[in-house]
Amino acid sequence: MVDAFFAVLQRPNFLTVVIIFLWGFYIMVSRYNLVKKLIGMYLVQTSVIFFLVSISAKKGATVPILLSTTEPVKATVYANPLPHVLTLTAIVVGVATLGVGLALCAAIYKKYGSLDEEEILKELE
Amino acid sequence: MTYQLPAILFLLPLFAAISMPLVCLKNRHWSHPISVAILATMVLISILNLNNVVDHGEVRYVFSGWTVPLGIEWVADGLASVILVLLSGLGLLGVVFTGPTSPKALGGRIVHYYTLILLLLSALTGIVFARDLFNIFVFLEVAAIASYALIGIAGGRALFSAFRYLILGTIGASLYLLGVSYLYAVTGTLNMTDMVDRLPFLLSSKALVGGLLFIFIGLGIKMALVPFHSWMPEAYAHAPESISPILASLVTKVALLAWVRIVYWVLTASDVLLQGLIVFYDIPILRLIAVLGALAAVIGAALALAQRNIKMMFAYGGVSHIGIILIGIGQGNQTGFVGGVFYLLNDAVMQAALFYIAGVAVCHYGVRTIDDLARIGKQAPWLTGCLIIVALGMIGLPPTGGFFGKWNIILGALEAGNYFSVAAVVFSTLLTLAYFVKLFEGIFRQQSTRLEDQFGEIPLVFKLTLGVTSAAIILLGLFSSPIVELLLNHAMPPRL
Repeated sequence: MVDAFFAVLQRPNFLTVVIIFLWGFYIMVSRYNLVKKLIGMYLVQTSVIFFLVSISAKKGATVPILLSTTEPVKATVYANPLPHVLTLTAIVVGVATLGVGLALCAAIYKKYGSLDEEEILKELE
Repeated sequence: MTYQLPAILFLLPLFAAISMPLVCLKNRHWSHPISVAILATMVLISILNLNNVVDHGEVRYVFSGWTVPLGIEWVADGLASVILVLLSGLGLLGVVFTGPTSPKALGGRIVHYYTLILLLLSALTGIVFARDLFNIFVFLEVAAIASYALIGIAGGRALFSAFRYLILGTIGASLYLLGVSYLYAVTGTLNMTDMVDRLPFLLSSKALVGGLLFIFIGLGIKMALVPFHSWMPEAYAHAPESISPILASLVTKVALLAWVRIVYWVLTASDVLLQGLIVFYDIPILRLIAVLGALAAVIGAALALAQRNIKMMFAYGGVSHIGIILIGIGQGNQTGFVGGVFYLLNDAVMQAALFYIAGVAVCHYGVRTIDDLARIGKQAPWLTGCLIIVALGMIGLPPTGGFFGKWNIILGALEAGNYFSVAAVVFSTLLTLAYFVKLFEGIFRQQSTRLEDQFGEIPLVFKLTLGVTSAAIILLGLFSSPIVELLLNHAMPPRL
């Protein structure tokens, strides 16, 4: 148990991912304000993106562009480009989702005059 | 030319969706005929594609010539091609149905509406073809964003349901992405075929089990599996009448298909990893799927029985049928798998038919709950007739496709010695019977003390959609043996 605890502390990045993910999740579940829910949602998405960046990071690595065409390629010199590409796509997807969410929030506010979930539910009854 | 068909099938609705706002800038009313034409072409191409796959075997498509470990691969195999014919056909029918309902329900947003529908269908095509875990994530999200917007497009109460769907759907997508990045960190690849070769050496890895768990929970939210189903009935019940048939019949089923791909094409596809060897805490994964399906089948049907709003009832019916499909998929033998896939085809058609019925009831007769149904009684022959046929299919009586699907699922469960699954299918069937009895009791009740309202004939388009879906339910039953034969020969996962 204690070993497991110290093993987690060896990887502060992964610990951060877990904390941000659960924090965002907690905000989404516990807050009644719709915009706050969206902020929580964005935290959850960001934590996953942070995880993707963390697993691809390498000490002393350079950008994945071939330095010379004659020598054989040494994979250890370059950072892995694939997770970064995934990150970019995931960011775009996240922004699009957030945009739709904010548009829905604006429309809900126009219709019900409130962003509080409980007040809207009361009005829906 | 034929090897380009998968790409054409995806690009056709995508380019149509992108150019729609420009083409229809001045003339909004062109958007309907253009979408109908595009989707009719898509139906033709998907039939050509199925024909090609049946004749010449699966088509492996790599984008811009980058071969597998580097590039993105799409595979048009038998399963994908069959699902694609269903998808484009139901999409076309849904767009045709939109015609008479759209001006009232959608306000001025007709062009946006057709753009989003075409975008949704192209994203679903992408999920069906993709053999790359991250590609599936991107298309799941494009489809989900299009669905959020489509549900909320008419405003009103649906806005709040769409917002809830967005919150839950994004949790699902984030969990799926987290699971995919776990699998990537462990295996170093995202391609399914590539991953199969690397998994046998990683059986003891906790990251693999954790990643799979995240993927399953994420896709479970997307397909409205029972503990995570709460977004689905509300969103589909409050969505505009014309859009809920497309969403209910396609979106959850395609998410289920992605799950089937990961379980059967990645986990059980390698020699070492024969079925059941991947376990979560000593539970074989297929057994887990069958049990979750059994829970979904019974709980969904029980919740449907408790509803009074017609669309809510049908949506909970959809929740229970997802469970029945999963029971078939989870048996781990050919009979069960074919039964599950065949029931998936039937269920998509039946869900579409149910929501067309609900749509016609709302648009033409102004009926939303079971108590209102008594008003229309004998004045709606098309509605009642179609409802009887769909009820036969949902309950699973012989002339319809639903019977043969359930029959194969039960045979598969008996073959696997899984009597709990058999009991769950039978019990869920009884509950389905119960809620349709409740519905028919509403229709045929003799209580019209006041003068009955007069309703005119329903428009031709409504007759067409109701007729086509009912005919499809009967035809799927009559031609069940060739279809099952086709699935057995061309749509089986490796090593089953």
